[in-house]
Amino acid sequence: MNNFSIKNLFTFKITSLNLLVAVITIGLLSAFMAGAVYYFLHGHHVYNVTRQHPWGLLIAMYVFFVVSSTGLCLISSIGHVFGIKEFQQIGKRAIAGAIITLVSGFAVIALEIGHPVTMLIYNVLTPGLTSAIWWMGTLYGIYLVFITFEFYFLAIKIDHKWAKIFGIGGLLSGLAAHSNLGAVFGFLISRPSANGVFYPVYFILSAMITGCYLLYLIYGFKYRNNYPEALKPMLIKLNKILGMLLGILIFFEGWKIITALYGNVPNRAATVLHAIGSPTFIYGEVLLGMLVPFFIILISNGKAIKPMVYASLTGMVGIFFMRYDLVHDTLIYPMTLLKRSEYQLAPTFIEYFPSITEMAIGFGGIGIAIALFYIAEKVFNLDAEKVDE
Amino acid sequence: MARYGMALDYNNCINCKACEVACKEENGVLLGADKYRIWVGVKEAEGEYPNISIASQTYHPSQCQHCDNAPCQQVCPTHATYYDDYGVVRVDVEKCILCTYCINACPYDARYVDDRTVTVDKCNFCSDTRLADGETTTACQATCPTKVRTFGDLDDPNSEISQLLSHREYRRVKEHLGTKPKLFYLL
Repeated sequence: MNNFSIKNLFTFKITSLNLLVAVITIGLLSAFMAGAVYYFLHGHHVYNVTRQHPWGLLIAMYVFFVVSSTGLCLISSIGHVFGIKEFQQIGKRAIAGAIITLVSGFAVIALEIGHPVTMLIYNVLTPGLTSAIWWMGTLYGIYLVFITFEFYFLAIKIDHKWAKIFGIGGLLSGLAAHSNLGAVFGFLISRPSANGVFYPVYFILSAMITGCYLLYLIYGFKYRNNYPEALKPMLIKLNKILGMLLGILIFFEGWKIITALYGNVPNRAATVLHAIGSPTFIYGEVLLGMLVPFFIILISNGKAIKPMVYASLTGMVGIFFMRYDLVHDTLIYPMTLLKRSEYQLAPTFIEYFPSITEMAIGFGGIGIAIALFYIAEKVFNLDAEKVDE
Repeated sequence: MARYGMALDYNNCINCKACEVACKEENGVLLGADKYRIWVGVKEAEGEYPNISIASQTYHPSQCQHCDNAPCQQVCPTHATYYDDYGVVRVDVEKCILCTYCINACPYDARYVDDRTVTVDKCNFCSDTRLADGETTTACQATCPTKVRTFGDLDDPNSEISQLLSHREYRRVKEHLGTKPKLFYLL
């Protein structure tokens, strides 16, 4: 641990980039607080969710954060669980990031779930074992315990044996929790476009991609794209891993779309056809989230470190749209197919756009994550120990 | 123990919406476009002017289908959604955490958020307001002027609903999902 003081907490090198990040972080934190207060005053009415579209931006942001957490945990496990030397140096920082993004996700979802305290009580007293949400929530709780102990043995009371044991526990519980989050959507028999095996697998794949993007961003910001020699082999290997993962993702997505459209199965084909025509899919998911980073890796032959930091920024924007579209596209097909009154138009695809409060809380969660990461960097020594190197 | 269901002779429906009003009145359902336990769907007339098939326009009363294999019950993380002793799918407001997973999972759009309790609400065949007092009809059935609805015990072979289902053809909505609905639309 570092020598920590309040004065030290508010002391940082004054550069334009640091100041910009500080202002953005304070802005996002303020937005989160304002959104939370407004929600406590008015309840769910301040969200644009409806009977036909009951989940919105906050669920998407929760998924975004826990995907980030699982991704960081999975990528860091390459080093301290599977023993690949170059990746051992990222362990502390990645696990700190995993804890922080998970906590940020919990902060956001706590303002979406109507009765979070009741949830804590009845999740234990009357567990719904057939519910993917129950398994997801419980497993994420276990995962948080594992990675917290893992971090403790990595950064506070250094013990590599116990760090590895808790690392394996974190890896397995993270995989289980995250695939269950996919199953939350995959189990919906009422939504043929989501129902099936795709999402549980896709969630793990996209989590690993998110982990790669975040590591490029974290190290890119820390070293201002001027990396120590010890770090470069890891970042180049990360390039190749990311390229392979993106290739698999593009392949998966392609076949998911083809199989959904093939045969024009009612509900499923129409939903997917509508989804792939939306700008959030074409420009967000495909262009920013997949193609820009993928082609940079291809063109550089898997050796682009500096461009990948910028591509990771577009990648994370794309990942956000993947989460947003995941929630929105699952819900766009109307369940009631008839009109409810004489002069009403026949039901069509359901529209949704998040309210200001949803945006304040959802994006404000990013402010929580950045602020907590800043504090973690100040409190703990997240750099690799010499013995690791 | 009875196992309740409802048969709907929907071709008799005249879309007067008395059932919607009776449901709201009986169960204290709040006003608002999103707040309803039951509704009457309108199937539009088919064809182009002047060849419009008037007979193709039908009304389709609907509500929770009280599935024997209810997706909403399976996905509930706290068992807030449960089957009561009569097979009626109900919500325990004490346990509901308002995650709204059940609203997503219901293939029939039968659930909504009740602002009185800030939990999920749905049709419960008037279990609290009528059946608990020993009555054997639901508010929507009792008020229907054309006797569209027949409510009763599916396990009693002599009940009116069992008799209807034994000699009338019927269909169930989205049956292919394996939900085993207990609302029967008489043909």
